[in-house]
Amino acid sequence: MPDPVLSIRDMTVEFGTEDGVVHAVTGVNYDLFPGEILGVIGESGAGKSVSVMTMLDLIPKPPGRVVSGEAIFKGRDLLTMSKSELRDVRGGDIAMIFQDPMTSLNPVLKVGSQIAEAVLAHNPKSSDDDGRKRAIELLQLVGVPNAEQRYDQYPHEFSGGMRQRGMIAMAIANSPSVLIADEPTTALDVTIQAQIVEVLKTAQRETHAATILITHDLGLIAELADRVVVMYAGRVVELSDVFTIFNSPRHPYTVGLMNSLARVDIDKEALLPIPGQPPSMISPPPGCAFHPRCLHSRGRARCRTEVPPLRPFGEGGDHVSACHFAEELAEAEVVGIGAEQPA
Amino acid sequence: MTETAAGTTAATAVSTDSPVLLQVEGLVKHFPIGGGLLRRQVGAVRAVEGVDLTVHRGETLGVVGESGCGKTTLGRTVMKLTEPTAGKIVFEDRDITNLSRRQMRPIRRELQIVFQDPYASLNPRMTVRDIVSEPLRIHGVYRGREGRLRVEELLRTVGLSPEHANRFPHEFSGGQRQRIGVARALALNPTMMVLDEPVSALDVSIQAQVVNLLSDLQKEFRLTYLFIAHDLSVVRHISDRVAVMYLGKIMEIGTKDQIYNGPTHPYTQALLSAVPIESPNHRGKRERIILTGDVPSPANPPSGCVFRTRCWKAQEICAEVVPPLIDHGHGHPSACHFAEIRRPLAIEPASAPSTL
Repeated sequence: MPDPVLSIRDMTVEFGTEDGVVHAVTGVNYDLFPGEILGVIGESGAGKSVSVMTMLDLIPKPPGRVVSGEAIFKGRDLLTMSKSELRDVRGGDIAMIFQDPMTSLNPVLKVGSQIAEAVLAHNPKSSDDDGRKRAIELLQLVGVPNAEQRYDQYPHEFSGGMRQRGMIAMAIANSPSVLIADEPTTALDVTIQAQIVEVLKTAQRETHAATILITHDLGLIAELADRVVVMYAGRVVELSDVFTIFNSPRHPYTVGLMNSLARVDIDKEALLPIPGQPPSMISPPPGCAFHPRCLHSRGRARCRTEVPPLRPFGEGGDHVSACHFAEELAEAEVVGIGAEQPA
Repeated sequence: MTETAAGTTAATAVSTDSPVLLQVEGLVKHFPIGGGLLRRQVGAVRAVEGVDLTVHRGETLGVVGESGCGKTTLGRTVMKLTEPTAGKIVFEDRDITNLSRRQMRPIRRELQIVFQDPYASLNPRMTVRDIVSEPLRIHGVYRGREGRLRVEELLRTVGLSPEHANRFPHEFSGGQRQRIGVARALALNPTMMVLDEPVSALDVSIQAQVVNLLSDLQKEFRLTYLFIAHDLSVVRHISDRVAVMYLGKIMEIGTKDQIYNGPTHPYTQALLSAVPIESPNHRGKRERIILTGDVPSPANPPSGCVFRTRCWKAQEICAEVVPPLIDHGHGHPSACHFAEIRRPLAIEPASAPSTL
């Protein structure tokens, strides 16, 4: 394997609140390799976005506090960079696409000039004319029709899908080597989502950027990701290639997610929900944070007392799971809904 | 806390032979657009534009569509939470179209609604007991000890515990709040519930809990559901029949099998094709229909077929003649001049990978 472009190492981030300390992410490790799409899945509050927001210094501090960790990008730790160094990286070599394009575009500036600004900010020698030309090229690339005219329109004159295209154009303006897409299609209707997925594929093809795709939408992950990080209660609980995660998951939470999904293409006999409620991140359960909801723990003491480390599985060691009893799942009835079933 | 029984098949086979509970004919709902100095009406948002549908006793009719298609307005108008502009609503053989608020009161005991957002639909200053008992009080059937027991029973029915009664909504998670909303809707033993995106605000593992709860309640209390949602997967799981809406109109309606396995309207086909499937094994093995453009404004819908501006099949006739919602020989109605079956969910057998 080539060297990773980005490595998150042992990252722990807390937020101080009136009710207590929220343990947003704890000891998170993962690598991002050149050209790949790494999917990050988990439910609300699982800490999906916190690690990337932290490495780009986009969490408010306070209340946020980085307890430990490194984010190694091209040999340098983003967490120890100065503000101005980080500003050069952000929007340049590492770019972001957010969920809500309405709040991430400036409503009083023309869409085109915001893209041009992104180009010029990282290419100080370019002229305004170059910026405009490049912005129009980018708008065309992401499928905005009549890009010349659209350049001079304001965000409110764009529909949701068009704004998201504008955001993607801005993100890829400086040919980033890392692209972070945080719930890029969540706010959009399904037919528009399908359009944006195509645009994301184009953007990735054009830039070859290694991409972190953060979403709760397992369908989007199944369609786009090469590898998948599964998070629960602020920790990575399973990591592998996308086929392994969907076809032979080895963490009870991942299995539970697959089993609770309704599918558009097959009639499932029953949905098997994960029982209980998501944990409090102020006082997460001791031991394995998933144990109160786990159908495989069966009350075993080890699950309550000992935090299960991420450990490799099978050949190659590319599949890791943080379950004390992951081997049992290999034999047990994992309902592999990733596998085909007659429609 | 009790969990809902897991091993349930959501869609109970209810034949369309069972008696009609709700009948809607030519339902129209326009919202006026005011403009100018004098606030004169300058136009209208045509949220619901001539909907006919029938809901049979005991069935679940799913209504799907994208934002702005009018599905929520349809649900609210059917319940008379907003007055219809035109058309007719018949519930339990009674024309309720022109009933006053007071006259609607006995009907409301039979016809309840669960809202999408469990954060906004529960009063934060009321305890769970007050919330769940409110319908009983409004209808004057809450009596001391009996009323308290009824609230406790309702909480148990939706998988909460009676001790939860004294707590406030903010003490609950999203899924639990939605259970409270369901308990409130159940309080008066309704015949029918309009479920407006009841699980869309919830995480997937919690969605399944609430979907199973709704299925169990339907069986236990012989409830009829109008299930409104944008999530085509959840709708497939819970519905007996499905109506697909676009710009205020029903494009296609049929049994679950007809809509998902043999859709004939291009919009239904595009919708199904656009849903990403939660299996990487399907990558590249499915036909993708990518629609161009956005949904037109419901204040200014296209002439003829409202879908024609995004439709790959559109011909001259589509701009001129509104396609009626009729059966073109496929066993279910479709509002397309060129209706024909196309199966965007099918995987080509030759390229389907073997089961792992």
